[in-house]
Amino acid sequence: MSQVGRDMSRGTGPGAALLRAGRVLAAMWRLGLAEAVAYRAAMLVWILTTTFPLVSLALWYSLAADGPIGDYGRADFVAYFVAAFLIRQLTASWVVWDLSAQIASGDLSTLLMRPVHPLLHHLMQNLAALPVRMALALPLGVLVLVLAGGISAAPGLHLLLVPLAVVLAWLLGLCVQTCVACLAFWVTSSTSLFEVWLGLYMVLSGYAVPTSLFPAGLVAVVRYLPFHASLGFPVELTIGRLSGPEIAAGFATQVVWLVLFGGLARWLWRRGLRAYGAVGA
Amino acid sequence: MTVAVRGLCKQFAVPRREAGLRAALRALFRREYTRVDAVTELSFTLAAGERVGFLGPNGAGKTTTLKMLAGLLYPDAGELRVAGQVPSQRRPEFLRAISLVMGQKRQLSWDLPAVDTFEFNRVVFDIDARDYRRRLDELVSLLAVGEVMRRPVRQLSLGERMKCELVAALLHAPQILFLDEPTIGMDVAMQLAIREFVRRYNVEHGATVILTSHYMEDVAALCPRILVIDGGRLRFDGSIEALTRRIRPLRRLSVRAQLPSREALAELGSVAEIEGDRVSLDVAPERVSAVVQALLALPGAQDLAVRDAPLEEVMRELFRGAAAEPGA
Repeated sequence: MSQVGRDMSRGTGPGAALLRAGRVLAAMWRLGLAEAVAYRAAMLVWILTTTFPLVSLALWYSLAADGPIGDYGRADFVAYFVAAFLIRQLTASWVVWDLSAQIASGDLSTLLMRPVHPLLHHLMQNLAALPVRMALALPLGVLVLVLAGGISAAPGLHLLLVPLAVVLAWLLGLCVQTCVACLAFWVTSSTSLFEVWLGLYMVLSGYAVPTSLFPAGLVAVVRYLPFHASLGFPVELTIGRLSGPEIAAGFATQVVWLVLFGGLARWLWRRGLRAYGAVGA
Repeated sequence: MTVAVRGLCKQFAVPRREAGLRAALRALFRREYTRVDAVTELSFTLAAGERVGFLGPNGAGKTTTLKMLAGLLYPDAGELRVAGQVPSQRRPEFLRAISLVMGQKRQLSWDLPAVDTFEFNRVVFDIDARDYRRRLDELVSLLAVGEVMRRPVRQLSLGERMKCELVAALLHAPQILFLDEPTIGMDVAMQLAIREFVRRYNVEHGATVILTSHYMEDVAALCPRILVIDGGRLRFDGSIEALTRRIRPLRRLSVRAQLPSREALAELGSVAEIEGDRVSLDVAPERVSAVVQALLALPGAQDLAVRDAPLEEVMRELFRGAAAEPGA
C-alpha cells in the first residue's frame, strides 16, 4: 500500500479524516436502517397518519369539478397534493420528540459518550428511514396518480433543482425541531410548543391548501415564511408552477431561514449542554 | 495522575412549591427555585490502574461527581483533568480513553441484536479490525455472551443485557472505566460474575475503574480504595480497613462453644450477640490474641472467626456521626 493509502486508511492526513467521517456516517446509516426495518409497522401507521394531503386532494378535486379554482384545475390539484404527500415523506423529521425525550430522561448521555456529534445521530436516523418510508409511500402516491388519471405536467429543467429544494426543506425542519427540542434542557414540556408550530405549518405551508389560493395580500407574506419554505416551495417547484425569479426567491428564503434556525439551534445546543443534568442525566 | 480533581463544585436549581392548588397557580407565574449543592469543594487524585469506589447515601453527590468526570455535566467551579483532558470539552481523544456504563441506561439498540451495536462502535471508535476481532472474542468468551449477542436486546434478561453493555463499553479498550450502579437489580450470581469480570479487566488491562454502587459488597470486594462522599463533600479517602478501624476500632470475634455466663464473657469483650451456642464479642485490637486463646480454651470450641465490622454497619455509623455534627 502506498504511503498515501496507509494515511488514508488509518492515519492522520486530511484524506483520512474525510474517509473516517464517511465510514462513521455509513455505519450510522446502516444501524438506523436496521432499526427502521425493525419498526416498519410503526412507520406504516405513521405514513397513514400523514395522508392528509390526499384527503385535501379529494376535497379540492370535487370542488374543482365545475371548473378551475383560482389557477388550479383538477389535474393541477392532483399533481400538487401527490407531490405534497411525497415531499412531506421525504422531508419528515422527528428529532423534536426523540431529542427532547432523551434530554428529559437522560438517555442523551449515551449519545454524548460517543466521539460523534449526537445531532448527527438524529440526522442519520432520518436519512436511514428514507428507503423504508419511500418503499411504503411511493406506491400509495403512484396509485393516487393512476386513479386520478395521471398528471399532464411536462418534465423540465426545473426538476434538476428539486433535490436541492427538498434537502434544504428537510434541513430547515430539522433545525427548527432541534431548536424546540433543546428547550427541554430547561423546561419539561418543550414539545407542546412544537404543536403550535405544527398548527401553523398545517395552514401556512401549503399542506392543506396551495398558498397561491390565499387572498392576494396574505400570499405575499406567507411565501416568505419558513412554513412555505419547508413544503410549499419544493412542491410548486416540482410541479413546474414557478418562474425563474420565483425559484430564485424560493431558494433564497430557504437559505435565510436555514441559517437563522441553524444558528439558533447551535446556540441553544451549546447553552443546553451546560444546563444538562438537572433531570435524570 | 489519571484523574485530578481540585475544588470541584456543582449546584442544581430545583423548583419548589408548597402543596395545594393556590401554590400550583402561583408557580405558573412565579417559580421559586432552591439551589442545591450537589458537590462542594471536592478534591482527590487517582492513579492509573486503581480501583476506586464512591460510597455515600442517596443524593450524596456520587453520581454527579462520576458524570462530571465522564464529561456529561459541566462543573460550576473547580479544576478537573481526566486522562489529561478537560472532560466537559468531550474531545474525541477523551471519549476514546474512557467508558461509562450505567446500570439504568443502555447504549445498545433496543430492537437489534447487541452485535449490531458492537460493529457500530467498531467504526465510531475507529477500532482496528484485528484489535476489534481479538477483543470481541476475548470479551465474549469471558462473559459467555456468544449466543446472547445475536438476539434482539429487548429479549435479553437484565444480566445478559448488562454483560452485552460491558462488551460494548470495553471494545475500544478504555483506560478509564466508570461504572454507575452496574449490578442494580441483579441476582447474587450475576453480581458476582460482573464483579469478577471487572476485577479481571482491571488487572489484565491496567485500566482505572471508578465504581458507584448501592451494594456495599460490590465496593468491598472490588475496590481497595474508597471515597466516601456525603452532602457533596469528601468525608473519607482510603482503604475499607482504614475506614473500619477509624469508625469501629474493635474487631469482632465469634465462636461456637459451651458458653460460660454472660458476665464471664463480658470480661473478655463487649458482647454483641449471643445466639444458641454462638457468641460474638467486640474486642480491642491489642487484646485479640489473648481473647482468641481464652475462647479456644472453652469446652467444644469451634468455628472461631475474627472479622471487621460489616461495611454496612460502618457506613451507617459514619453517616449517623455526620448527621450529629453541627452544620453537617
